[in-house]
Amino acid sequence: MTKTTTITEGELEDLRGTVRAFLAEYSGEQAVRRAVAADPGYDVDLWRRLATELGLPAMAIPEAYGGDGFGLVTLGIVLGEMGRAMTPGPFFSSVILAAGALLASGDETACSTRLPGIADGSVVGTLAVVEADGAWRTDGFATTAREDGGSWVLTGEKTLVPEGSSADLLLVAASTPAGPALFAVDAGAAGLSAGALRTLDITRPISRVALSETPAVLVGDLGAARQILADVLVRASVALAAEQVGAARACLEMAVAYAKEREQFGRAIGSFQAVKHKLADMLARVTLADAAATEGLRAADGFDDAPPAAVAAAVAHSVCSEAFMYVAAENIQVHGGIGFTWEHPAHLYYRRAKADQLMFGGPAVYHERLLATLGV
Amino acid sequence: MTTTEADPLAAFADEARAFLDAHAERRSTDAVIWGKGEDHTGYFSEDPPEVEQALVDQARAWQRTRYENGFGWITGPESYGGRELSGVHDLVYDQIEAEYDVPDTGVLSLIGLGMIGPTILAHGRDEVRDRYLPAMFRGEVIACQLFSEPGAGSDLAGVQTRASRTEDGWVLRGQKVWTSVAQHAQIGMALCRTDPDAPKHKGITAFLVDLSLPGVEVRPLRQMSGGAEFNEVFLTDVHVPDDHRLGEVNGGWRVALTTLMNERASVGNEASTGVARVLSDGFLAALLHESGHGEDAAARRRLAEITADLTAAEYLNRATIRRLRSGAQPGPEASVSKLLWAQNLTRIAHLAAELVGPRLTADTGEWGTFSWNELLLSAPAFRILGGTEEIMKNILGERVLGLPKEPS
Ligand SMILES: Cc1cc2nc3c(=O)[nH]c(=O)nc-3n(C[C@H](O)[C@H](O)[C@H](O)COP(=O)(O)OP(=O)(O)OC[C@H]3O[C@@H](n4cnc5c(N)ncnc54)[C@H](O)[C@@H]3O)c2cc1C
Repeated sequence: MTKTTTITEGELEDLRGTVRAFLAEYSGEQAVRRAVAADPGYDVDLWRRLATELGLPAMAIPEAYGGDGFGLVTLGIVLGEMGRAMTPGPFFSSVILAAGALLASGDETACSTRLPGIADGSVVGTLAVVEADGAWRTDGFATTAREDGGSWVLTGEKTLVPEGSSADLLLVAASTPAGPALFAVDAGAAGLSAGALRTLDITRPISRVALSETPAVLVGDLGAARQILADVLVRASVALAAEQVGAARACLEMAVAYAKEREQFGRAIGSFQAVKHKLADMLARVTLADAAATEGLRAADGFDDAPPAAVAAAVAHSVCSEAFMYVAAENIQVHGGIGFTWEHPAHLYYRRAKADQLMFGGPAVYHERLLATLGV
Repeated sequence: MTTTEADPLAAFADEARAFLDAHAERRSTDAVIWGKGEDHTGYFSEDPPEVEQALVDQARAWQRTRYENGFGWITGPESYGGRELSGVHDLVYDQIEAEYDVPDTGVLSLIGLGMIGPTILAHGRDEVRDRYLPAMFRGEVIACQLFSEPGAGSDLAGVQTRASRTEDGWVLRGQKVWTSVAQHAQIGMALCRTDPDAPKHKGITAFLVDLSLPGVEVRPLRQMSGGAEFNEVFLTDVHVPDDHRLGEVNGGWRVALTTLMNERASVGNEASTGVARVLSDGFLAALLHESGHGEDAAARRRLAEITADLTAAEYLNRATIRRLRSGAQPGPEASVSKLLWAQNLTRIAHLAAELVGPRLTADTGEWGTFSWNELLLSAPAFRILGGTEEIMKNILGERVLGLPKEPS
């Protein structure tokens, strides 16, 4: 199990309160809208404060690498709050994807040189896996690695790379004659170029990254990328699920508040059963999603009484994706015309919900992943 | 951090295992061997009366064994043969017992021990508690819930069955309906109107009725699933002594709430029934393959969706148990779980029907085909019993989300 430092329920609630208050003050809706409109798509100053004042990126990184050594259950609180506030920033790509890949690689040198920077927020990392077909593959990359006098160079094109244009460190999956492997590439390396893409979810910047004979350092064993990426997927699925639940709850709360205040036909719309029952259905889906995410986080942390991590992660990704998409759409419906305007925040969640649902392949893919974990 | 040595429940769990090892067989395995074992998927039985009577006798005997070994009333007071342990101990025991092949005791426990027992304990006089509680938990007395009437279902406070004062007690007149297990029961808890002029919630009184009294007539009602597990109960000038009153005169609504709160927790808890078996991943996976749909993308996807939701519902129950363990009060999970339970079973019934195909429509004798009718024909009841889907959603909307009440 990865969890080394224990934390009580009360401490988790305190953490939630602290992060929520901080984000409410510095990352409210208007701040989010300003941040996503400017380069690099998030508020760099806020990101620095989250790292230095609150120490958030360090939380789930082992103490040996400059972190606090908490597990994903603890980190899930932070992710839930960031999902709730739709805070743009490289938290997911740097802390979950990049740090997750480094840890999964078991590469002592890579971890001790790279993780402390991610932990203190001075380095933003990302993971470049996806190629032209958009699939989260673990083998068969068109991007190739060539050994050149004891060091490596990469050539190829990656796409849908989160924070690809602003990251300081890219972990890139590429083919080698000994099978797929993971490589570290530093921003500014020769032959590396990144271009930001228009995105469905305007709060998560995404880039295409081209590599041409770009110098790279092998991370983990040659041919080990398949296992590393499978491990990252478990960790990233439950982290995403925690974010999704936070965001879904925000949609539910928004819809409930509006249903209590908006009147039609001389009554609050929430007194009409068609609306009341819609909100009850939303509550049921969010409650179920919360349970799925929680169990996924506990499983990823290796709790003794938790189900196998791959099963719980597949369940969490499936249930939380569906729940978030459902409440994001119904939230707009409850708001009527105002819900369809650019000015209303409802579409930010709707955009995020669909992008999240498709992030690691989409429903058809994650359903097959779930069946595979059960041997079906 | 989750090691069992540190868990105060561990000793209790060990004790439960030792008891079960001594008195029951472990369920063979989780592995599903298609075509082997019971071919039942249903919640309601369709058995002839003599078969059903034999099952009731087995249930009684197993409850007696539990009681005599200290597992018959885990949360009950010691003076009535209970253990005075927490509801969590109860849940732990249920989880462990589900690993063993034991008789299904639903006929006794879902309504009588799960709902009426706690109500008698909370609101009954000493004479009534002494007389019935140990007998119920020893498996001798089965209790039913005489709440619904032809004119009062969802709006339960609208009951019209009258109870009028006599010198030494009360005389009851009226008709109850949909009364599960009344054909096997010795007692029933009835809600009756005692003050027709008061606002409807304020004019009701609760009674415990001995069903062998003159004037009580139980008539079976055949259900759409074929069997007859619920009944009409006619009360014609039934004399009930005043010491069989539960709670205050005209205070019956409060008493009913105790029962209803326990009902939410009871519904969906069917660890050892055919329903529990068809909920397992292995069973559903076998259905997919054995029905020839192993490579059918649409069927695989529907199975995955249902499996994810079923598994998450199980995680939700675990989360509830963890919260209760740390001393929290039960939250809205009960109503959410009831809704999801009915929805999930309904989805499974229809997926199974589609996978089995036309072979569902006639009994060819082939294992695992026609038997899915049982679940299919039970499913509509799941959305009604214990409070309809619509009423559950009103409760969630108004009591959890704080939405405005229905204008009356
Ligand atoms: C298998 C089974 C076993 C049962 N066992 C027992 C038992 O042991 N003891 C007992 O006392 N009862 C029992 N019941 C009765 C059960 O509690 C009632 O059937 C249930 O509460 C619904 O009442 P009703 O049948 O009168 O339907 P109605 O209340 O007439 O409802 C009809 C329809 O109207 C809807 N409706 C009603 N009011 C509202 C509202 N305010 N808002 C929106 N929709 C509304 C309902 O949701 C439903 O769809 C059992 C029922 C079943 C099916």
